[in-house]
Amino acid sequence: MSSTQASDERKIVTFSLGEQIFGIDMASLIEIREWDEPTPLPGVPSYIKGVTNLRGTVVPVVGLAERLGWTPSRIHARSCILVVNVDGKQAGFLVDEVADIVLIKDSEIRPAPDVEVGEPSVIAGLVKTTSRTIEAAQGSADGIMVLLLDLDALALTRQLDLAA
Amino acid sequence: MSDDLDDIQAIFFEECAEGLATAEAGLSAMADGDVSAGTIAGVFRAVHSIKGGAGAFGHAALTAFSHRFENVLDEVRAGRIEPTPGVTRVMLTAFDVLADHVAAAQGTSPLPNDAAVAAALDQVLADRGVAEAAPVAPAPVAPASEPVAVEPDPFGFEPVTAIVEPFDPFGFEPVTVTLDLLDDAGPVVADEPLPWTVTFVPSDAALANGGEPMLIVRELEMLGGTITGVDLSRLPSLRDLEPEHAYLGWTISVPGTVDESAIGECFDFVAPESIVDIVRDVAGDAAPAMPSPAPAAVEIAPVVAMTVPTLIATPLAAPAPAAAAATTPVAAPASVSATAPVAAPVIAMPVAAPAARPARPDEAEAQRTHEVAAQTIRVDLTKLDMLLNLVGELVIRGSILADRLSPKDQERVELPQLSRLTREIQDTVMSLRAQPIKQAFSRVPRMLRDLSAETGKQVILETTGETTEVDKGVIEKIGDPLTHMIRNAVDHGIESAEKRLAAGKPVQGTIKLSAEQKGARIFVRVADDGGGIDRARVRAKAVEKGIVAADAVLTDEEIDQLICAPGFSTAETISNISGRGVGMDVVRSNVEALGGRVEIASVPGKGTTFTMVLPLTLAILEGMIVRLAGQRFVLPLANVIETVQPEPGQVRPTTTTGEVIELRGNYLPVRRLTRTFGFADNDAQTPEESLVIIVESETAGHVGLMVDTIDDRREVVIKSLDQNLHPIRGLGGATILGDGSIALILDIEALVGPSAPLTRYPQKGLAA
Repeated sequence: MSSTQASDERKIVTFSLGEQIFGIDMASLIEIREWDEPTPLPGVPSYIKGVTNLRGTVVPVVGLAERLGWTPSRIHARSCILVVNVDGKQAGFLVDEVADIVLIKDSEIRPAPDVEVGEPSVIAGLVKTTSRTIEAAQGSADGIMVLLLDLDALALTRQLDLAA
Repeated sequence: MSDDLDDIQAIFFEECAEGLATAEAGLSAMADGDVSAGTIAGVFRAVHSIKGGAGAFGHAALTAFSHRFENVLDEVRAGRIEPTPGVTRVMLTAFDVLADHVAAAQGTSPLPNDAAVAAALDQVLADRGVAEAAPVAPAPVAPASEPVAVEPDPFGFEPVTAIVEPFDPFGFEPVTVTLDLLDDAGPVVADEPLPWTVTFVPSDAALANGGEPMLIVRELEMLGGTITGVDLSRLPSLRDLEPEHAYLGWTISVPGTVDESAIGECFDFVAPESIVDIVRDVAGDAAPAMPSPAPAAVEIAPVVAMTVPTLIATPLAAPAPAAAAATTPVAAPASVSATAPVAAPVIAMPVAAPAARPARPDEAEAQRTHEVAAQTIRVDLTKLDMLLNLVGELVIRGSILADRLSPKDQERVELPQLSRLTREIQDTVMSLRAQPIKQAFSRVPRMLRDLSAETGKQVILETTGETTEVDKGVIEKIGDPLTHMIRNAVDHGIESAEKRLAAGKPVQGTIKLSAEQKGARIFVRVADDGGGIDRARVRAKAVEKGIVAADAVLTDEEIDQLICAPGFSTAETISNISGRGVGMDVVRSNVEALGGRVEIASVPGKGTTFTMVLPLTLAILEGMIVRLAGQRFVLPLANVIETVQPEPGQVRPTTTTGEVIELRGNYLPVRRLTRTFGFADNDAQTPEESLVIIVESETAGHVGLMVDTIDDRREVVIKSLDQNLHPIRGLGGATILGDGSIALILDIEALVGPSAPLTRYPQKGLAA
């Protein structure tokens, strides 16, 4: 988290995945890049789209929609890859469209009810934002709901699945 | 501040590790009969550096022990102790204890009990005392018995008052003189030898050259020295004070019981141009600078003034100045004759400035080589990785740029030059990370000595492939697994002497430690010639521990693998060595964490071989770029035997999925990798449309792989997949091709070897 922000504020980058708007902490984001067909890997779950070259590092590209148990994203002109860093490991997430970067207050985050995203625990909370792009797209005046993705949990849950 | 100190400490411990490795290599060489001066000096220097650093950081126990050890080494170096096998053995033991001391200073292990070894070292020194009575090298000293009758002589004789004057750099072999003089002095020199007066005036540039004078003064204090005077004469006014200059000089009194060479060693790393005088006090007279006209007794009290023998530790140093002295015998003869009557009590060994000069270029050269050998810098590995990645990008961008240029422009000389330079940078960066696996192997001999002592089993170690270059990260991580494998081999593999004799084997067991690179993998093997794995016992134990069901049907290989199961141990008694049920389990998990695997091959009665198959992360691989279902892959050239363009009917189906190729009368199995990988099915493709590459694998022999085409053959940089993902069976990593896209590197062993599920590694991380 950047030290220029107040301690209870954080920047999140919001993006759309199907009908939903998600957000991840800016601190985890390395870069946003255009969709580029990754090199497919053998013997991996189908949500791993393959690997791509991020400045000389081999980074896996994950279909986030499939990873969350939804139908795979369709690739279109605005499809992009969010490259994130969690626990020193890098991964690219295929998302439908990047929306905005917004500042939120921790106090505005509401705990996530049991939303139907396959793995509820990967949602760290819900927050309402007044994101310009999405607002325009959805015609909503009093902000839209963003699902905050918990990247640590996303990494962890999978391990538990495997142990089971 | 304390962080800085910690950092410096960390560097010290790294240096200790290097020093220990050097010392061990040298001692092992000595044990094998190499007692050359270079080897001994190398060990001495290593121990001496450890002592110096330990003193600076206040590790008293380590300092004390390394000092003791160093004393013996010094005597060996000077030829006064014969490096007999017995002495070498004591030194090897001392080395082990020294390593323990370092670990203790680091806080990773308790303080070792060094009493026995210290006593053994002292004994070695004491034995030397007997031999010492016979003059070792009396030749240059002969004139010393008649100091007054000095003709121009290889050595310059000087009034003792000259001692404190700055001499030019000069090194010599002072010790033999002292000893002989002492012997001659017999009845006069009392039981309690007279104290030494050491004058030390560091050169102006001492601090700039890293020759921190305080460390040297402290080292002398460690020998029992006390500062008796400080020379402030060179100290300028505060305004003119240059913080990086050394202005002070010290007079330090060191007890006479301290060996002169021990004092000399404190100055081993002193900055050039410094003044160092070591003078034995004249009886009862604390001021040797003003000796009264001498009684006979004093006449032979040795004064040894020497100037900065920076190179005293290197064997090169002694001959050079000696020769210089011999060829330039003009050293201050005038002062000799003039002052001889007064200076009679004193023999000033080293030579004045003119004599020393001719030696300087040599010395400077020797010093330069010395420095070159020691010039290293420590770099964070992640920085090297970053650099390597960036260079890789540079290569790719360069080739993209080249593609955009017109053919005419591409041929211009600048572009080829640029790509050659880029490739050179790449090669250089790559070589920075590769280290000989020797570094990991070097700790094994000591371990075996310990294990032999503990178990009473005699073991011979045979090492091959030590020069195999492996990525540093891998070397660091195979240390623990290797330790466990060796322990396991001695504890469980090698039988007791009686059993070995009964089986008709030599009493001494043999452990073969080897490393080799094959394609994208490094194979590290520990092979013992012991009894092999007792499969019935392993199985029984596994059932008892609930690791497998009592009625499980297991192949021999599966039983062997049980050794690596968590919590498995067949040791009847918990020994200090193994038997805690963690050993081989740790090996497997560490190796798998590296993206490798452990293979076990055991023949009852003949022995067991454990093989760590490790990835060569960041190594270069010579490979063939092939296409499978349109996608590019890298096939390691090391595996490739030949390429075949099949004729119709040359490839024939055997079963529904199996195919064979007929090659010069032999039938070899053919694999369609697209099928193995589950890629878009190209079963429809006829063999005639494909190429068959015959590859060799360790486990499956020759196998044909069907590929679409061969694109290219080139060197590729291996990138590990597990950095951000996890190892994938069948792949040795990935590489980035010239156009920036990724090609996967095939792991032939895993692909054509005994069939195993493609993903059997634990999956972790975001993309797992």
